[in-house]
Amino acid sequence: MVTGFKISGKKNMSLKNKLTEYLNPEYVYIPLISGYDTNISVFVKKNDYVYKGTTLGKRQGNFPIPILSTVSGTVIGFEEKYYLNGEKIKCVVIQNDFKELVEKKIPICDDITKISKDNFIDILKNNAIVGLGGANFPTFAKYDTDKNIKTLIINAVECEPYITADYTLALDHAEEILEGVNAILKINNISEAYIAIKKTNTKIINAFNKYIGTFPNIKIYLMPNLYPMGWEKSIVEEILKKSYDRLPIEVNTVVNNVSTIYAIYESLKYSKPLLSRIVTFTGEGIEKTLNIKAKFGTLVSEIIKKYCKYKNTNDLLFIAGGPMMGNSMKCDDLVITPNLNCVLVLPKLKQENCIECLRCGLCVKYCPAKLAPVLIKNDCENPDELKKYEVNRCIECGLCTYVCPSKIRVRDYVQKAKDTIRKENK
Amino acid sequence: MKTFDVEKGPFLNSKNKTSKMMLHLFIALLPIIIFAFYKNGIIPYKNGLTDIKGLFLPLMVVILPALTSFLTEMLYASIFLKVDALKYVKNSFSFYPGLFLGLIMPLNTPFSMLILGAFVATLVGKLLFGGFGNNIFNPALVGRIFIITAYAITFGKYVYHNSYELDTIASSTPLTNASLVEGIGSYNELVRPYGSLMNFFVGTIPGAVGETSALLCIVAFLYLTLTKTIKWRIPVFYVSTVFIMAFIIGLFNDLERTYSLFQILSGGLMFGAVFMATDPVTSPTTFVGQALYGISLGILTIVFRHLTPYPEGVLTSILTMNMLVFIIDKIGVRARFNIKRSIPYFSTLIILMLGISCYIGIGYRKGNDTEIDPNFEIYSKEINGNTVAYMVGEKGYSSTLKAKIVITNDKVVSYEILEQNDSYYSKITQANYLNTLIKNQAKLNDVDIVAGVTFTSNGLKKMLINTIDDYKENGNEEIKGDVVIDKDFEVLEHNINGNIHEYIVTKKGFSSKLKLNITIIDNIITSVVVLEQNDSYYGKVLESDYINYLLANQSKLEDVDTVAGATITSTSLKQALIETLKVHIGDTNG
Repeated sequence: MVTGFKISGKKNMSLKNKLTEYLNPEYVYIPLISGYDTNISVFVKKNDYVYKGTTLGKRQGNFPIPILSTVSGTVIGFEEKYYLNGEKIKCVVIQNDFKELVEKKIPICDDITKISKDNFIDILKNNAIVGLGGANFPTFAKYDTDKNIKTLIINAVECEPYITADYTLALDHAEEILEGVNAILKINNISEAYIAIKKTNTKIINAFNKYIGTFPNIKIYLMPNLYPMGWEKSIVEEILKKSYDRLPIEVNTVVNNVSTIYAIYESLKYSKPLLSRIVTFTGEGIEKTLNIKAKFGTLVSEIIKKYCKYKNTNDLLFIAGGPMMGNSMKCDDLVITPNLNCVLVLPKLKQENCIECLRCGLCVKYCPAKLAPVLIKNDCENPDELKKYEVNRCIECGLCTYVCPSKIRVRDYVQKAKDTIRKENK
Repeated sequence: MKTFDVEKGPFLNSKNKTSKMMLHLFIALLPIIIFAFYKNGIIPYKNGLTDIKGLFLPLMVVILPALTSFLTEMLYASIFLKVDALKYVKNSFSFYPGLFLGLIMPLNTPFSMLILGAFVATLVGKLLFGGFGNNIFNPALVGRIFIITAYAITFGKYVYHNSYELDTIASSTPLTNASLVEGIGSYNELVRPYGSLMNFFVGTIPGAVGETSALLCIVAFLYLTLTKTIKWRIPVFYVSTVFIMAFIIGLFNDLERTYSLFQILSGGLMFGAVFMATDPVTSPTTFVGQALYGISLGILTIVFRHLTPYPEGVLTSILTMNMLVFIIDKIGVRARFNIKRSIPYFSTLIILMLGISCYIGIGYRKGNDTEIDPNFEIYSKEINGNTVAYMVGEKGYSSTLKAKIVITNDKVVSYEILEQNDSYYSKITQANYLNTLIKNQAKLNDVDIVAGVTFTSNGLKKMLINTIDDYKENGNEEIKGDVVIDKDFEVLEHNINGNIHEYIVTKKGFSSKLKLNITIIDNIITSVVVLEQNDSYYGKVLESDYINYLLANQSKLEDVDTVAGATITSTSLKQALIETLKVHIGDTNG
């Protein structure tokens, strides 16, 4: 049974204004990190000239994927900037020459369904296609498998409140996305695809319905309006009624975010590397709320200054990510990365009075990972008990804290429990 | 570059609040409290059976312990914890243990007991464990069990009855009544003394103040489930388990549906399942845990009700299972990742369920024949040819019924009541019930009781059944003995002075015998002097100048109203006059 909780969306805020492009920053700060892996070999030094798409560094461990320059210009040094997890990361600073030069032009591919599987994997790898839903996982790795892929699920659920980045993209590019899905199905010999959309999102449903008739293998699946319905595992369980342990491939399924699919399409069709994304700038703490397409490495502070403007109050919170899973940041010196889907500025919350747990069981009831947060909380420093509770299944969706009637920060205790396990394993 | 404070997410607050859940709980309890007030206060008051104190008694039984709980926490917080007491009680929902305690107590519990019980419930059941959220046992039940152990003796048969029920229902609570037949019995034995199963469903049966109405408990259950306040699986599994087990037990004894309905509708099972077993603090948090908990509660309740001397099973079952919540939750956590892990536990419980129901069902059938009515007594038995005359006694409502029953040629030919002092006996006479019984002597079990005098009519019926049974078994053994007949009305003296007749008579009153001096001149009562009386509410008779009122209306005495609040005393006075007049007319004519 898939569980979730209805949380009011507040999505209209960022849809009031049109999608804006901000693709010409004077400097970009490309963080030398891939997902949360900072073990990167760096290929450039100060004063090197780089083209748009030049490899700046490469992840060393599993799933090697290049880190690309998003502008053409000169490397002027290295500087630390904030990453969305709240830590400072070393970045390559490039001064933009606004020429948008690329190393070599590759012609447009006429029929992307004819690309071979090996070629497909290479294109995804070389164009640095990663999951844009938040995990930042190299996309080629999902397809580079011995297992037979039977189902492709396109995640257009975007269940977290406030965020409309996927929504905006899907609305404008429904046809291209369907073409991309069709190509992926043909290349990988996958028999069916589902586009998972919240049933309340009628605009997107209509956008896809307009073109879907040409693609008999692609179906739209209407998801309940619950949080966190956008979690891979919930989607697979809801659509296929199958449960897996770690990865969807265990049940012969690949799940891709809808924005990732569009990035795949662009890389197949135009050999375009993944260099930019749509980020939702929203929240009650800024004057103008909108979606902005920006290059990776662009400073968030620059965008806010130019487009959004903070409201004139001191009690603001600056959050990288959505209101449920995002991180509250010390300052806005943050760079845009593939996994940053939202910048949320909120007035500080009224501190709710936290009282004793009454064991109502709501956190257990709603936990999408089927954990028992209330019991984990009581044993959060006892590693032996915690192993029985399988704490590491927690996806930190924050629903346990949200539903708690006693206003206990339940997720903090679960995170503490995860730390306890981590220490024990070392 | 702008700097910000760092806080932990999520950055949204839900409207869900513990105080809101507790408010839902209170809303769900309100109809139950109002019904308790209506049933135990308003109905008896309207029928003139109680005074203003009795009217508000049911409310007091609920409010007093709730208040005690509140004050106990206030004192504890300010003296021992040295914290802001008001803030402490606000966050610990302090009045609930006492409120629940009041609702599961008998109506006539002395106030001192209620206060002490609520104090223990709050202090031992809740505060000493560390306060709200930390207690292992349901506090209200801790208080209840304390009262049972500490005051066991003072709990009489009619402690549950309100004064209206005292008049209309002979038996004690349904389960205590059922325990006389080892908990298992037919519709006639278990349900009839209280009317029908509808009375059980609606709640017009004797029982703890808030426990009797299954209907209101079901309404509360629906409300609390829709508002996501309670763990709905627990009551569903609990009640279903009791139903299934009782059904199996019933199958062995040809009782079937009515018996299982009797089991789930009586003894506060519904109230316990909806409100006590779902107490969030002391119940499991996982789904599988809640199901296991509910089933175990059901099994335990059936076991306690049938295999122990204690008729009530809900309270002890819940307290027992409270201890195991910790383990049950661990099972539930592991079963969540893989439901197969719960199979051994569920199968064990189902085997237990079936095994225990069969054991109880079969075991009961063996002892079914040796059933003796402890209230029946044969004073004497005379045999004269084909005629046997019995002098027998059987418990009625408020007195022992004594009767002469004559059986000729294996048929009951006369059934004469020698002595009785039951209120509302007149209804028996009006219904010509004794004749009905004689007419239907072949199928007495099917004869309906008389509405409003359940206890008395049931006693009359049982007396006849028992006598016939005795006749069939040992009809030819004479029993010699004396019957002491305590007469209801008696003429002690009759002095005649010309046309002035002076009668000294006695007549049973409410709690004492009334002794009257009645003077009759020319068939008209000229004076009534009360020589002796010790009735509780006699003052009301005086206040209303009732005797003069009777004298003024002596031509139509039968139609004279009684005095509200002193019904029995005033009826006795009226009857004394009527009977004296009868005697007088008989005397003067003869």
